[in-house]
Amino acid sequence: MEAAGLTTVTLSSIPEFTSSVGAPRVAAIQYPQGRPFGQPGDADGQRNVLRAALGVLEQLDRPGGVVDLPFEWPEPPSQVRWHPPEQPPIAKLLKRKPWLYKKFVDGDIPD
Amino acid sequence: MSKKVDSYRYVGYFTRKLIKAWIARESPHEIPWTPLAKPLADSTVALVSTAAVALTSDRPFDQEGERRDPWWGDPSYRVIPNSATEREVSIYHLHVDPSHAEQDLNCAFPLARLQELARDGVVGESAPSHYSYMGYILRPRVLLEESTPAMIERMKAEQVDVVLLVPF
Repeated sequence: MEAAGLTTVTLSSIPEFTSSVGAPRVAAIQYPQGRPFGQPGDADGQRNVLRAALGVLEQLDRPGGVVDLPFEWPEPPSQVRWHPPEQPPIAKLLKRKPWLYKKFVDGDIPD
Repeated sequence: MSKKVDSYRYVGYFTRKLIKAWIARESPHEIPWTPLAKPLADSTVALVSTAAVALTSDRPFDQEGERRDPWWGDPSYRVIPNSATEREVSIYHLHVDPSHAEQDLNCAFPLARLQELARDGVVGESAPSHYSYMGYILRPRVLLEESTPAMIERMKAEQVDVVLLVPF
């Protein structure tokens, strides 16, 4: 997208990974998976995160920059639930056939 | 200066190890760059979410295909109009609990919040179209060679300046 002339920013809760794959600008946020802008019904909180993420566009002037946003999630990790109700298919497969785990980690993906 | 974000605060041991291994495999990238051409307050903004959001009236993302072949993820994308709310969309993601975003789409795909920022003059406009694909893609060829160029083409046609990408 960036190469096609669009200016991008990625709001990421795993900024180490997002940066490693070459994202031009990263707005890092320490929120759990599934709710990158905040809790349901918290319009003010969501708007603040959105404004801050877009604000990063005016703060970074070179490729590969990361800005850590100052938002704090109200619950400790032990209380946060973000896993889906059904275990993902890949997790079920690797439980049945643990020797395939190495392929998953190595990116050696079967056709 | 804010505290540095801990990338692994909410992920378990297994996911942390996996992500670290994937990061270790990456080599330095030539990072593409388009400077902000005009102030944010004059820019048209589009959102892209990996939450696999689709209008309920549109084709669902293929979850059965992934259940049959867990190495595969649906690499297509959907267009979501600016006016969409949680009442008109479904979320088809097998790796993250969709219930919060089903309750309030703005948790993950803040179309209503973006329109408010446009009304308040923080951004120029919210684009007519926004986009979603499903973020679990281990074989990215179709996503990179077909879905992404098609999204870009539509963004260009709608004079988008700025794209906010949001992993789910």
